[in-house]
Amino acid sequence: MPDRDPPASTPEPLLSARGIAKRYGAVRALEEASLSVRAGEVVALLGANGSGKSTLGKIITGITRPDAGTLTFDGAPLHLSEPAQARRRGITAVYQELSLVPDLSVAENVWLGHEPVRRGGIDRRTMKGRTAELLASFAGVFSVPVEPDTLVDSLPPSERQLVEVVKALAWRPRLLVLDEATASLDARQVDRLFELVRGWREGGMAVVFVSHRMNEIFRVADRAVVLRNGVTVGERRIGEVDEQELVQLMTGGGAVAAIALEGHDAPGAAAAPPGATEAPVVLELRRFASGVVAPLDLTLRQGELVGVGGLQGQGQSRLLLALFGAVPHQGEVRLEGAPVAFRNPRQALRAGVAYVPGDRNREGLLPVRPILENLQLPNWRRYGTPLRMERARRDAAAVVADLDVRLASLDEPVANLSGGNAQKVVIGKWLSRRPKLLLLDDPTKGVDVNAKAELYRLLARLQAQGTTILFHSSDDAELLGLCQRVLVMQDGRVTATLEGDTLDQRHLVAAAMGAQGAGAA
Amino acid sequence: MSRVPPAAVALLLSVALFFLAGLVQPNFVNAAQAINIVRLAAFLGIIAAGQTLVIISGGEGIDLSVGAVVTLGAILTFMISGGSSERLWLALLVVLAVGAAIGLVNGLGIVFVRIPPLVMTLGMAGVVQGTILAVTRGNIPGGVPRALANLVTGRFLGVPGAIYLWALLGLLMWFVLQRTRYGRELFAVGVNRRTAALSGVNVSGVVVLTYTLSGLLAALGGLLLLGFTQRVFLTLGETYLFPSIAAVVVGGTVLAGGRGSYFGTMAGALVLTMTESLLRSMRIGEAYQMIVFGAILVVLLSVYGRQRERE
Ligand SMILES: Nc1ncnc2c1ncn2[C@@H]1O[C@H](COP(=O)(O)OP(=O)(O)OP(=O)(O)O)[C@@H](O)[C@H]1O
Ligand SMILES: [Mg+2]
Repeated sequence: MPDRDPPASTPEPLLSARGIAKRYGAVRALEEASLSVRAGEVVALLGANGSGKSTLGKIITGITRPDAGTLTFDGAPLHLSEPAQARRRGITAVYQELSLVPDLSVAENVWLGHEPVRRGGIDRRTMKGRTAELLASFAGVFSVPVEPDTLVDSLPPSERQLVEVVKALAWRPRLLVLDEATASLDARQVDRLFELVRGWREGGMAVVFVSHRMNEIFRVADRAVVLRNGVTVGERRIGEVDEQELVQLMTGGGAVAAIALEGHDAPGAAAAPPGATEAPVVLELRRFASGVVAPLDLTLRQGELVGVGGLQGQGQSRLLLALFGAVPHQGEVRLEGAPVAFRNPRQALRAGVAYVPGDRNREGLLPVRPILENLQLPNWRRYGTPLRMERARRDAAAVVADLDVRLASLDEPVANLSGGNAQKVVIGKWLSRRPKLLLLDDPTKGVDVNAKAELYRLLARLQAQGTTILFHSSDDAELLGLCQRVLVMQDGRVTATLEGDTLDQRHLVAAAMGAQGAGAA
Repeated sequence: MSRVPPAAVALLLSVALFFLAGLVQPNFVNAAQAINIVRLAAFLGIIAAGQTLVIISGGEGIDLSVGAVVTLGAILTFMISGGSSERLWLALLVVLAVGAAIGLVNGLGIVFVRIPPLVMTLGMAGVVQGTILAVTRGNIPGGVPRALANLVTGRFLGVPGAIYLWALLGLLMWFVLQRTRYGRELFAVGVNRRTAALSGVNVSGVVVLTYTLSGLLAALGGLLLLGFTQRVFLTLGETYLFPSIAAVVVGGTVLAGGRGSYFGTMAGALVLTMTESLLRSMRIGEAYQMIVFGAILVVLLSVYGRQRERE
């Protein structure tokens, strides 16, 4: 394929990786991957879930050693046997799976392994001071207060993600890999991050940027490198390519790509059930409150897909958790007319409610257990005693095929999956249940374009079968494309309900930022 | 390059140790000796069954009351049956009920009062030991039912009953862990309780049931042990406490929870018993035995740890 167009008259790359290969047992994570980045350049690394992006990132930063291939940095061959070496050379990364220690404070995490010392001891004052300076670059976009002394465990996923960025910056990198660092950030946080990235680029930093949100690629990158099944299949300047071409490169072209695009642009909007207002009421909330979530009233009808938006951490996750019975709540809840008060998720499940958590590593996965067990965890009851394992396996295989999870075998631990594929497992365990009410907390985090389209189609199918869906997303495009109605939350309150004419990007942003008059409160 | 499961490593090690013993003590390697060692391992293995479940359940799970409950199981059998085989059934029922009740209290304390397992079960061990002492004042009337002795020591095809019972328990434990909802949920609870709860698992129920089973299995172990020792004394079970934990760990069950198997524990029990017999036959003192045990633990754990890193 004539896919490579080496840009003319360019300086030496800061980093170049050629012919990189890496296998895990029978799985070829990378076969023939190449990537080069110049100082002062932002390169987007694109590819479907499991195409090898994170693996390549880990090889560049010395976490993983390649089986074959060469790395050069600053004109000299680079041999890394551990991450510390890479960091000393000025190469750091924000990894997809967050690496913070929950029991330590923000400052302790940021300086872990290179604490400032004075007179033989850790210099806590300097450590805090410099952390505060670094945190200041995100001032105003944190959804909860983040101080150097804040315990990481108390932070929501978006803030932990920003702390990861700060932690990488503390090493003063010359090359920074951002592996899906935006996946759990809201619009405002992404804006700030991009402002910073542009600043770093000015300062001569090289950035490798991985994201499944195509619009971000076009906003921040200078060049895109595309991986498919572990092979670098193409390289494009951002100014000379459109989204469709990139998606085609990622997927290998053909019909799949077409569906993916359709799904991305206007997912499921056509699936609005006619006459939805006459459909029976499924969920009715009266003065429902929980923790930061201020009392709210809400009515959801059968087959409706209602979005919950706003900046990250405004109480959206808490609202969903409370509806699922995982945290206490006040007020009235009626499910299909009958009053209910779930005291734990089990009761909610039995009543036909399902929930996809927003934090896959802490709430959604059993990393060391096989994929099969992860998918069937809520469902074992259905397989009798003794458990009919063949049937459980067949059903799991069907879900895996439905979501196109790339795996070697159902018996492999879920920790071996790529981030996006692991997320599909978190969603997949509920798919065979046909819930009455499905609560989704940012379910497409790190999921690739194709799989997103597949998920949207599944949601439409569930809707058609009468499932009511309450859907929180940090991706505005997704809310606008999927939902007939979007509740915007700010500070625990529903400050706007957008539908019909008001359901567009402008109103959504305005409502999220707290501007008045965006819609009826 | 596939990974060898820890259970297989431990099993191979015990076989290797057996033949190694032959080099040091030529008269050590024969069928009778092998059977004898497996029989000794059977009691440890049975007593460590509950420990396996508790350790898999995670949350710093450990049951330090098994020693005391083994003693109690043996003493109750001794006293209730009074040596009569007809009353063995009654003894069995009481022993199982009392063991389960003790485990239930452990579980409730750990789950609902949030007492750390180490503290709760250690306290329970003290309470049980103390109660035995206070009630019996060291004077324990009773006897060993002949039926029990026959069941445990009687031979079928040259193999003592204890070994058949152990094999049966092995199958039962495999079934419980691999083919019941409880087993699957136990592993999930051991890995991540939050994920388990959000997936509809009754986490409290699973943990309480696990400690209850541990108490029940330890008491059953005490009953069977009586058939072997033919006498009771106040420290009967105590000697099994540390080995019951060591057997689980040597068998590859992870102390952090969520991973392991009872076959591993069985192999672990063989390794420990094997080593002990060998050292004893070489007239190596108890202090050195302990050093060797410690060394085996450290070496095996680092081997398993390294394998996991490669995963
Ligand atoms: N430690 C591991 N053991 C076994 N297989 C692995 C391991 N790490 C990655 N893989 C496999 O290598 C392939 C590439 O994974 P990688 O994480 O690099 O994908 P990715 O492009 O980052 O995907 P995503 O977009 O989902 O994050 C996947 O098929 C994955 O299952
Ligand atoms: Mg990845």
